Order: sequence, then C-alpha cells, then structure tokens
Amino acid sequence: MSDAQDFNQVTKGFFQEVELGASYPPFSAFREHFGFVPSIFRCQSLLPRLIEAEAGLAAAIHFPVRALSCRQKERLLLPLAAAHRNGYWVAAHYQLLCLLGEPEERLDQLVSDYRQADLSSADMGLLEFALNLGTNGPFITRKDIGNVQSQGWSNEIILETILITAWSSLLSCLSTGLGASPDFEVAPIPGTAQLNPQPGGVDQAGERIGPYLDAPDLQTSQFGPFEFFREHLGFIPNLLRAQSARPDVIEAETEAFRLVMLTDDHLSRLQKELILLVVSAANRNACCVAVHSEILRTLGVLPDVADKIAQEHRSAGLDEADEALLDFVLKLASEPSEFGARDFASLRIYGFTDEQVLESVVVTSFANFLNTLEFGLGAKADFVLRWEPSPISEKVSNLPVPDVRHTGQGYAGDPDNETVVRVQNGDLDAFEALINRHSRRVYRTLLATLGNQEEARDAMQDTFLKAFQHLGDFQGRSRFSTWLVSIASNTGLQLLRERKRVQSLDDDGVETDEGFRPRQIRAWSDNPEQLCSKAELRALVEEHVMKLPIKYRVVVMLRDIEQVSIEEAAVALGLGIQALKSRHLRGRLMLREALTPHFAAAAAGGAA
Amino acid sequence: MINCADFMAEIGNYLDGAAAADVRRQLEAHLAHCQTCQVVYDSARKTVRVLTNSGSFDLSEAASKPITENIMAMIRGQQRSE
Repeated sequence: MSDAQDFNQVTKGFFQEVELGASYPPFSAFREHFGFVPSIFRCQSLLPRLIEAEAGLAAAIHFPVRALSCRQKERLLLPLAAAHRNGYWVAAHYQLLCLLGEPEERLDQLVSDYRQADLSSADMGLLEFALNLGTNGPFITRKDIGNVQSQGWSNEIILETILITAWSSLLSCLSTGLGASPDFEVAPIPGTAQLNPQPGGVDQAGERIGPYLDAPDLQTSQFGPFEFFREHLGFIPNLLRAQSARPDVIEAETEAFRLVMLTDDHLSRLQKELILLVVSAANRNACCVAVHSEILRTLGVLPDVADKIAQEHRSAGLDEADEALLDFVLKLASEPSEFGARDFASLRIYGFTDEQVLESVVVTSFANFLNTLEFGLGAKADFVLRWEPSPISEKVSNLPVPDVRHTGQGYAGDPDNETVVRVQNGDLDAFEALINRHSRRVYRTLLATLGNQEEARDAMQDTFLKAFQHLGDFQGRSRFSTWLVSIASNTGLQLLRERKRVQSLDDDGVETDEGFRPRQIRAWSDNPEQLCSKAELRALVEEHVMKLPIKYRVVVMLRDIEQVSIEEAAVALGLGIQALKSRHLRGRLMLREALTPHFAAAAAGGAA
Repeated sequence: MINCADFMAEIGNYLDGAAAADVRRQLEAHLAHCQTCQVVYDSARKTVRVLTNSGSFDLSEAASKPITENIMAMIRGQQRSE
C-alpha cells in the first residue's frame, strides 16, 4: 500500500456530512434496493443535487430488472470492482451477493480470478467483455460486441452490460474521490484481474466506427431529452442517440447532466467542462474530447486552446488554481491507487471550497461514466478531432516528485532509511530517535497550519502516532521527513476543517500572475539583526510570520525557517514546484513590507 | 531590456541563487541602473537572512520532552496490549 493510500484510512471521508433526514427520497431508494444507504452517497450531503443525479442513474441502470437480473448485475459489478482495485466496492458488492444467497467460495473466486468461478462459457464471455470495457476501454471494437452477440446475448443484455460497466467506473471513481469509509469490512484484493489482451486493437480501421448496437430513431420533437440538449448545447450528442433502446436511461442521464453540469453555483460551468475535457483526453476517448471541445467553444474557449488544454493543460496558460484543479482530477481518474487526502489539501490551499472539490470529484466520475459508455457503444463522432489522445501515463505525473530513485529500500540518500527499517522491524527506541530528529520540523509545520502553539503541540502527538501506525506501509517513495511533514500538514488541515476555520485558507482571494507590487521602498540598515536584541528579533519575526495568510505562512515556515528544500516542501504540501515558488516569494515579499518599518536605515537606533 | 515588473517576477529564483545564467545577467543589468529594485532586492535578501537566522518558532527541549514521552508511552502501551 502506498503512503498516499493510507491517508484514506487516517481520515474518514473527506467531506462533512449534513443531515438530510431519514425520508430523503434518494436515500429511501438506496435503502430499498441495497438494504442500507452506502456511505459514498451520504458523504455528498453538502450538495444534495449530486446525490439526486446519481440516484436517478441508479434507478435507471442499477435497480430495475429488465434484461439482466439483480444477481447478474452484481456478478458483473463485483469482478469489475476488483479489476479497479476498489476495496470499497468489492466489499459492498460482495455483501450484496451474499444477501442474494451466492456462496462465499464463488465470490472469493470472482474477486481473485473469475476464471475459477464455475461460470458458463456465455456468462464468462459477457464478464470478460465487461472487464475489458472497464479497464481497456479504448481497445474495444465492433468485433468485441460481435463476440458477445455470437455467444447468444441479446442487444438488450449487451446494452445493459455496457451501462453497468460504465456505472461501475463512476462508482469506483466516486468512492476513491470521496474517501468514503467502507460500509463493510474491506479485505485485501488478491492478485490482479487477468484479461485476455485484445488482438488488433484500435489500429483496425473501421472497427471503431459505431454505433455497434441497433439504435431505433427517436423523434427529437417528441423526446424531451433530445429537445433539451438541442436547446442547451445546440446539438444532440450521438452518445445519447446510441442508447435509444433505453429512453428511460437517456432521461436519467439528461437529468444528471442538468444537475451536475448545468449549474454555476460552485464550480463554474467552464471549469466543469474543462474537467470533462481533460479526463476524456486522459482516458483517450476521442469522441468525448471532441464533444467537450465543441461545448467549450460555445463557452468562449478557442479550439486551439481547447486542444492544448486537452493535450497538456499545464502549458495552456490557465490560471494556477485551474491548473491545480485539473491536476487533481487527472490524478483521481488516472492514478486512483495513489490518490489521497494530500491531494485535497492542495486544492484547499488554492482556496477551493469543499463544495467545489466535491463537485470536481463527481464531474470526474461522470466523465469516466460517459467515456466508458462511449467505448462500449462506439457512438458516431459528433465532431472531428484533429489529433489523437495519447496514452495517459505520460501526462499524469502531476506530483513534482524529484527524480525518485526507487530502490525498495527507502528513498535514495534519506538519512533516516536505516532508523525507519529498525522501527519497521519492531525497535521502538528507534522511533524515539525519529521523533527527536524531526519534532521541531513537525511542530513548525503544525504551528504554521494551526497558528497556535498549544494546538500545534497537541497535534504533534497525533502526527507521530499516525506515522507510527502507518510506518509499515511507508515505502520510501519520498524521504521519511517529507512523508512526516505531509502527515503533519494534513493533520493540521483536518483540525482546521473540523473547527470550521478553513475559510482562512482562501482569505486573500484570487492569486494573480501579475506579481506583487512593492510599496515600501526604503533602504534597510546594513545589519538589521543588530537593531534589536536576539529575543526581540525572534518575537518580531514570529509575530509577522503568523500574520501571513496560511498558504504563504506554511511555505515560508518550511522553506525559510525550517530550510526544507523546494522539492521536499512541494511534495510534502502536495503542490507543484511553480505554485510553491510563487507562494514562497509572495510570503517573503509580504514580510519584507511588514518588516521594513522596523529595519529601514532611517529607523536605526529606534527599531523593534 | 527587462522592466521592474519583470524583475519582480524573477526575483524569487534570484534570491535563492537559482536563476538561470542568462536571466541572472538580465536581472543584474536591470539592478545596475534601477534604484528602486536595488532597494527591494536588498531588503528582500535581508528579509530572508533575518527569517533564517532569527531562531524563530523553536521547540525547546523542555517543551518537546513531555510530548515525546507521551507518544512513546502510548506506543509502548499499544504494543503491550496486542
């Protein structure tokens, strides 16, 4: 387990819960179907419209028994969750199948290796199709659909299988992004789902041209959702037309689109479209990239700019906060196993509210849903894309990890390596040595975050206890001290959130690229340190550092007071190098302004 | 030729001694004739020096010792109860 993951367990869900009442209709619907309300839905209670969007999709895709039975759907969903390495949903689907009377032995096989699970060859074929679609979407072609059809599966069943697979992509992404605490005990997921590599793949011209399944014509003027899209987007996405055998599903998707996308109260409409664009590009779904480029064009983003954002959002001239937002969603979509509370901390530092972060998680999940759906259906392209989305691995390295030579024995050159290994082997005294070595750094991180000495001391204890508990999972992806500072920073932020003091994170509004205009232009004395006593100097610095807004304070504390390297501070705080540098400079320049009256040459003799 | 706004945009790396050589030359050429930026740069450099040398936010051993003892007592207690 990576050190990012274990933060998921340290914090219980990333968002606060608001009471929505026992009779809240979406919850009643979940309770009726599942027997309980999964925590991933409860932890979105800050924005009930999101829960309503998802409940609508569940009611169209997951709950009703049409072509596939409940049990058949769950038998697809369990191995899909295992293939996504998603402990939350493996535990939930396992439990649901138990309640449906499925023997545990078979469930274990579905999780570890579906081929041992004694399925009929047709069932196996359908499951393999779903697994391929869920994990290798871009490689699905008409041929795969033909294979499933030749095993005797009807188009209705294939369409439902595609819908369930897309739904599973949405659910996995939600549970990762929300950090929801599992409803049932999570067991480790053994092995990895082994899939047959797809012969041919995308190179076979024509094989990717759909739609693959028959889709009856629906009269635009008589079908509300089509009317709705024509009015709001100016066109009717072919992805919807390809599902015309299930108008009820199209209606639920339209309603979800309205509730999730066509709102401007937290994230802007533009930000949400940017998320759909970059996630679709990372998922290599050209059809969806083209659709969202077009929608962005109607929102005023030029096609060349949209292409650039989709290809490499960090060089597209977006503002820093939007870059961080897109980093965040790309990591969630592409590296879920590495995703954790640290990624949230970085968005909060940029001043994003909980509602906005929550929305970004749901929009990302929605993008995964649409992308998977499109891969399975092979919707006809609505617009021409002039480039081919590239493999994701090249563009998700958003964490500024400085040339990590991963030896498996700890981070190369980390002076703590040996001591950490001793603790991992049960030597408790060695842990005491680590505390003594790093207590000041941890304290300073907490003090800068919390702004209060007493709280910082209390939180020190929590930080080291968490570090001890999770030391077994620490894999040396960073220095031990970096890992420790990131735990301290997250512990501090978590406390701030619990005390609802998080508003102080964005108290200086929008950060602009214009830089900082100096106001104090008075020369300083040659030796400012000699203008006052050592104790006065310390008090002066402490006073003014603590007056800085938190996001500058933390960086100044780590860089100038504790003298942590740029790379280490960036990794610990979950920031990009550029973001870290610009905050650092801003903090230093603000301090320069504040200290000038004390140290200006003219004030010599009367300082402090 | 760079102006004062350009100078302020690049001053961060320069303060850390991390500006690329050609950037550094341009910054120094600007500094040579701009008194305002000289003052800002000099006081920013001194700000960093004051921050670094002030010994601020120290955690004394008297303050850290009981915390360390507490943590170790909890860890040892946990270990024993397992």
